[in-house]
Amino acid sequence: MRLIKRMFFIFLIFQLVLTNCNIQAQTNGTEIAYLHTDRTAYIAGESIHFKLYVLDAVSKKRSEVSKVGYVVLRTVNSEPSLKIRVKVDAGKGSGSVVLPDTLQSGIYQILAYTSAMKNQGEDRFFRKQITIVNRFDKALDFKIIGSTIKDSSLTQVSGGTAKISVDKSVYRSREKVIVRLGKLDLKANVSVSVFEIPKIPSTYKTIGESITDLSVNKNDKKARTYYSPETKGKILRGVVVDSKTQQPIKDAIVLLSCVDTIPNLQYAVTNADGLFQLLLSDYYNGKELYLTIKDTPDRSKWQIKVENEFAQPERWNPSLIADNSNYKDYIVKSQNIVYINKSYQIDKENTYKPKIESESICPRFYNCPVETILPSDFMPLPDFLEIAVEIIPRVRIVKENNNYKVQIVNELTNEFNKNSPAIFLDGVFVDDVNKIIQLGTEQIKKIEIIEAERAFGDLVFSGVISITTFKNEIESSMPASHSVRVINDNENSGANFIPLNPDTHQSNSTPFVKQLLYWNPNLELSGTNDTSFEFYTSDNLAKYIIKVEGISEDGTPISATSSFQVTNPINNTDK
Amino acid sequence: MKRYIYLLFLLICISARAQTNVYQKVPDIDSTYSAKLTGDFFYESKQYIGEQYFNIDWWDGDILLSTGQKVYGKLLRYSGLFDELIWLNNSNYGKFKLDKLSVDEFWIKDKSEKDFHFKRINLSDTTSTHRLGIYVEVMVTGKLSLYIQRKISVVGYEDEYKNKILSRYYDLKSTPIYYIKLPSNIYLTLNKQSRNALLKLFPKNKNELSKIIRDNRLNVRAEDDFVKIIELMNKVAIF
Repeated sequence: MRLIKRMFFIFLIFQLVLTNCNIQAQTNGTEIAYLHTDRTAYIAGESIHFKLYVLDAVSKKRSEVSKVGYVVLRTVNSEPSLKIRVKVDAGKGSGSVVLPDTLQSGIYQILAYTSAMKNQGEDRFFRKQITIVNRFDKALDFKIIGSTIKDSSLTQVSGGTAKISVDKSVYRSREKVIVRLGKLDLKANVSVSVFEIPKIPSTYKTIGESITDLSVNKNDKKARTYYSPETKGKILRGVVVDSKTQQPIKDAIVLLSCVDTIPNLQYAVTNADGLFQLLLSDYYNGKELYLTIKDTPDRSKWQIKVENEFAQPERWNPSLIADNSNYKDYIVKSQNIVYINKSYQIDKENTYKPKIESESICPRFYNCPVETILPSDFMPLPDFLEIAVEIIPRVRIVKENNNYKVQIVNELTNEFNKNSPAIFLDGVFVDDVNKIIQLGTEQIKKIEIIEAERAFGDLVFSGVISITTFKNEIESSMPASHSVRVINDNENSGANFIPLNPDTHQSNSTPFVKQLLYWNPNLELSGTNDTSFEFYTSDNLAKYIIKVEGISEDGTPISATSSFQVTNPINNTDK
Repeated sequence: MKRYIYLLFLLICISARAQTNVYQKVPDIDSTYSAKLTGDFFYESKQYIGEQYFNIDWWDGDILLSTGQKVYGKLLRYSGLFDELIWLNNSNYGKFKLDKLSVDEFWIKDKSEKDFHFKRINLSDTTSTHRLGIYVEVMVTGKLSLYIQRKISVVGYEDEYKNKILSRYYDLKSTPIYYIKLPSNIYLTLNKQSRNALLKLFPKNKNELSKIIRDNRLNVRAEDDFVKIIELMNKVAIF
């Protein structure tokens, strides 16, 4: 009996440890996001500046896990208007994007998330609403959000954990403003925005409110599949399925390459769910990705489906009201300000795009000496069949069942290898020999040949033929049914905001009207001293708000708000 | 008693459920991050008397690629005869000589877990054999670095008739070459391990070098002692 009791207690302790491990396993790597935008209302044609915070869901410290963040701007019909990929470093990323002039006036939703957050379900995504008005919209009959929750921070003079002080509460136009952030005894990274208080109501949440909301109120909806955290860069996910039955295909080899002068390759093998994933380094930024399935008899029946990382299965259904009559004056003024700034090209002076030096390492298919043939050294030949016969006798093209097959001499046996070599056209792995058959000496710039059997990871190829054309002929060729091409957009590096000094940049006769006076996505608070920053007021006489959002090193959310008035001593009415 | 057994049963059930929650999510996906090794199939068409490899058996090794990526736990052999790193691919049991330009450094481990560190160095001469650089074993790193090329050379051959078939066997011999890298990135080459040859490489510091060898009773012909000499030279300010 005593022995059973003892065993029971040991088991109980074991259970407690296991349960703890289980909780840790479930929370480890889980993240929450917060997106601080420079404003809550915009005119199409203006830039939206943003700072993305990615935090560990448990410690609330900045997450070191995800290196990629996603920001989606969508309409009330849940149609995505902007898709932005943001580089995240140590839990923070920032950028900016110009809102296209084609955007319709209305309420938009911004979602911010990481790949790892998909495992907890979309309820975990950060969401906020912004208003965008088209610059040329005169009717202004769009609906605004019918929420009763107002932006609480707009009414408070100071708050949160940080104290903001300005040297004055009323400024004249084109006057320098010095803002001091009182020391917090915490090292922190914050983002700061100073903008005219919009008359349009918004549902702004501070970083602290947002964290509480995301941490407490959400019931995790487990994702159907596991999303690997993007710890080293963007991961391209997709599935290989049977095109008729849509059944997943296991162990299919998916090959990835893109147009380059160097033959390049990456591959992944599908799992039992037909799922594959490929790490996309900076090399693939802004390039068209060519995906195909390595030759197997059944591949013509297979299909690659690439997952859209921006897709949002859940629709957004905001309750909207038609009454925006109170804000029309404000909107018209904003439209005029954008019109003036565009006319005088002040926006361009206000921003600069930093040059980003990224490591761009090409995943070379080979890195060894090769036999190079320049067809221009020979007589003109109409197609590759002739080229093979006349110039490269160690390569032959045979026709089997109405299909061409390329064979290359094995350097050891000195006989033609029955298996086809790896064929690259303009750096891309070619899934169909017919793509090169029509190419003659006028199209081909260079042919590189390796006769030896080649290993690329676990894949083995019977030699290599790499063809580089003058006009990247691969781009105009049709992909096979088992191939797919997708564009991999660039990461948003954004443009930095420069607060202009009207005395040095503008003459008194040039209009200097601004609704956004200052934006700094990365202000470091030392924790030992006050931090200050400065900017200039503009000729736009209005009430402005200073908003600070950020997170300390120990995971304490930092929010602060203050306001000041810009007025003219002679005429203090808003123009 | 029964109560405890029921409780125990209940806890086992909970435990089993808790564990599946953790592990079920992770799918069996091909390693997303692993760098891929590239190389030509390695044929061994000739027969030798002696050993062409630095390590006779396949040893576990790690490779630092020229892209900065590292590949871990591959079965490797270094051929001193061809100056090539050979990889045994576990998945197809093919032997591939890795693209030299792709490999910057590699580490191979013997059975006793002793590490042997090799790197690819580019010498100033661009002869066809050295065009892609050579693999050398890193013995000393510092102000003066000592690298040894574990070269195996063919020194002759023997013909043998068996059943009226002529078979040729090539005689192999270890012919290491010693490279001393100066702070100015110049390589001094020593084809023969001898006191005089070493002293000739440092004509200005001949006396100091002789003193080091004499005081520490070191034999230049012994490789361990030779390594010690370079280590001691690194401690002396004049070198």
